[in-house]
Amino acid sequence: MQGILFPSAVPEGREGLKEYRARGGYQALAQASKGPAEAIVKIVTDAGLRGRGGAGFPTGKKWQFTREAPEEPRYLVMNGGEDEPGSKKDRVLLENLPHLVVEGAILSAYAIGASKAYLYINARYDVAIKSITDALDEAKSAGFWGENILGGDFDLDFEIVAAPHNYVAGEDTAVLEVIEGRKPLPRQKPPFPVTFGLFGKPTSVNNVETLANVAPILLKGAEWYRKFGTAESTGTMIFSLGDSVNRPGVYELPFGTPLRYLIEECGGGLKSGKKIKAIMPAAPSSAFLPPDKIDTPLDHNSMRDAGSALGCGVIKLISEGTCIVEEVLRIADFFTAESCGQCPACRMETNMLSMMMKKVQAGQGGQPMLEQFNKILAFNKGKGFCNLIAMPGPPIESALKLFPADFEAHLTTGKCAAN
Amino acid sequence: MANLQQRIAAKGLKDIEVKSYMCFGACQEGPNVVIYPEKNWYARVKTEDLDDIVAHLAGGPHVQRLDTIDSSLKELIYQLLDTGIF
Repeated sequence: MQGILFPSAVPEGREGLKEYRARGGYQALAQASKGPAEAIVKIVTDAGLRGRGGAGFPTGKKWQFTREAPEEPRYLVMNGGEDEPGSKKDRVLLENLPHLVVEGAILSAYAIGASKAYLYINARYDVAIKSITDALDEAKSAGFWGENILGGDFDLDFEIVAAPHNYVAGEDTAVLEVIEGRKPLPRQKPPFPVTFGLFGKPTSVNNVETLANVAPILLKGAEWYRKFGTAESTGTMIFSLGDSVNRPGVYELPFGTPLRYLIEECGGGLKSGKKIKAIMPAAPSSAFLPPDKIDTPLDHNSMRDAGSALGCGVIKLISEGTCIVEEVLRIADFFTAESCGQCPACRMETNMLSMMMKKVQAGQGGQPMLEQFNKILAFNKGKGFCNLIAMPGPPIESALKLFPADFEAHLTTGKCAAN
Repeated sequence: MANLQQRIAAKGLKDIEVKSYMCFGACQEGPNVVIYPEKNWYARVKTEDLDDIVAHLAGGPHVQRLDTIDSSLKELIYQLLDTGIF
């Protein structure tokens, strides 16, 4: 299947400037830089591009808000923190298609009127950081960024910032804190970064994959782009499959492709040969789906209607014989460990959920303990500076609803139903 | 905490245990003292409040001025304590 980002299959080696230009690279910049920046925002808005970092916010709208904010200077921040467990998509793009990302960043900076762009990349991604560093050198030598880009009056400077590798360090405002030299602690919102972002100035924070879509959209047009995907989720998305399948890796598919196609045709099904017990379309923070939802289209609305979410496309499969209580305990412990601890409500919620799940695992507390999960989650809804407080809810609530026998087994015997 | 323990011991209250717990979601209003199973919660406790709290534990009056925590949070935490979470 032909993609938008991956020209044929997933690229295996790094694409240099020469190869990228041979397939039309930087032509979008050459064309767009001759016209008004507003035209870029309009085309990206018309294309329906939505952020690929997890929230799916319309990119054109975010840029418009940033452009319209009265303060100057404005900043572009590429978010390549990628600390979602199992996510590999940003790494593949940064390592193998660095110029696609860099051209997207230059175009995006031009669109919002930014003269400085920060490329925030997971500190563990040594190869990706080297690849982007080299791409920036190559692109600058060719006149694609710096002063008077391609002979025009647009100036742009880049800076690479190594991202700490903890979960909240990928939250947009935590990213800004790190770039400003502080610890990765999310800020209270509002104000949002589009009006009060980096150094208090209007800032657009965009995911790596989002930026990688910009040059193809501008080169081939919004109408072409909308041919991929669905009306509400246009284009393609890169999905990550883990080691539980026969062919783990990243797969670019049009939005709306059935989940079954990704799991069976791309991934080759479960390596263990067992049946699927549950699917997490956006691990670890999405609701579990039962196996009869395997034909759900991979797009934001369909996943929401099915009771889950698409997130940033990390698909986790739970096989028959796996205890959901153990699975959910791992998730609860993950969020407890990753909560930054600055909001009392988040600290209380994540710790309580972990502790309660450990009690259930040990067969203690009975039905009254189970009833407390939803109460804790409801009480803390909407509290906290960032969305981490909302993340343990979907997996826990869906697990309780879909797999009551697993909880019952633990509460009555202290052991897994699966064993 | 040690100060509270000493005062309880000095008062001869033998069936009261003082121990630290995880965050109950009101750290911004701490230090907090939760009395369980009686279900009383005192917030923003200072050293000078300890004698009144110990007096309450010995059968004295409820310390109304320290009872400022939101009732819905208190109810949630008391229910959790009732499940035997600790």
